[in-house]
Amino acid sequence: MELISKISKGTKMDQIYIPKNRPGFHTGEYVKIIPVNERPKDNYYVYNIKEVPPIKIEIAKQIFQIIESMINYDNIIITGSFLDENFKFNDIDIIIITENKKEIEKSIKEKLKIEVHTILFNQSLLIEALKIDPKWRLMLSRCISKKRIAPLPQRKLKYRYLDVQLIESKTLMINFNYLTGKEKYKLTRNMMAISMFIKNKNISNKSIEKEIEKELDTNIEDLKNNLVTNDFFKRYKTFYSKLEKEIIENASKQEKDA
Amino acid sequence: MLDLFIGNISSAISHEILMISTENKELASRYKKERDNLIVISEKYRHNINPISDILPDKDIEYIKSKVKNKIKSELSSRIKKGYKNINLNIIEELIEKYLRAVKVI
Repeated sequence: MELISKISKGTKMDQIYIPKNRPGFHTGEYVKIIPVNERPKDNYYVYNIKEVPPIKIEIAKQIFQIIESMINYDNIIITGSFLDENFKFNDIDIIIITENKKEIEKSIKEKLKIEVHTILFNQSLLIEALKIDPKWRLMLSRCISKKRIAPLPQRKLKYRYLDVQLIESKTLMINFNYLTGKEKYKLTRNMMAISMFIKNKNISNKSIEKEIEKELDTNIEDLKNNLVTNDFFKRYKTFYSKLEKEIIENASKQEKDA
Repeated sequence: MLDLFIGNISSAISHEILMISTENKELASRYKKERDNLIVISEKYRHNINPISDILPDKDIEYIKSKVKNKIKSELSSRIKKGYKNINLNIIEELIEKYLRAVKVI
């Protein structure tokens, strides 16, 4: 058994960090340290992203390292707008699969000097999230992870849960004239992801954008650049109302059958 | 502007009550970023309602509270009529107070 790690600078003494969840190398045991000649390859997995700029890979690696040094984890998943082709992200969404409940967001922000949004899950809650919530399926459809991600579990339709998720998209109808293109895009994407989840369609940013173009008869770039007009608003409202009605009716049925 | 403010606050509270009533409330509350957006938007509208730096006059507060309450009740009652269980309408007023305080209306 061998572990490869980097010597890092300390105040009084330098140190070598090793993962807390490791077979062997128990606390108190003596070990021999010898140098390796090549820099070891960092392991990470990239899902559905053609090319990640080296700077973003470097940031992802730093995030993995920081979290590794703080808590035990099953996986770390980086997702969200950080992985878009441009550099216009507001923050970095980090999903940490762990039994740990320690608040680490502040420490990561301080170390990285970048705004981050950490979401902690234990294994069973993540599996439940992937079964019933299209949002998490969408998040995992495009990501960088520290370890390999298992295939998605079979979806389970819980209409009352979907009702709660859909209400977020009502914001577009209340504030249509005051929202930015980015906000309109996100709210439309949420609504369409729910609709596709019910229809058992594959959920990814690309497939959702195609569906928005088809169902709402709009160009996705126009939506993102806030160039949509009242005609779009009318189509959105019709689509939302129909979907809401379907969800509430099915939720009522599920409630009665329970 | 006032109508938009009322619309957003009502929507945020309806959302919270529905969220509390689902059996998966722990999961529903996990991704707060989008929901917090409603509060951010409400705050933006609040900054355009006079008096900007002080709480609103009692008459306006009562008007907002009553409008918000009606909107929430209408949103939730349609669901209760359809058969939704465990929706607690008793917490509406408490949540209205909480949200209005957060955006410095009261």
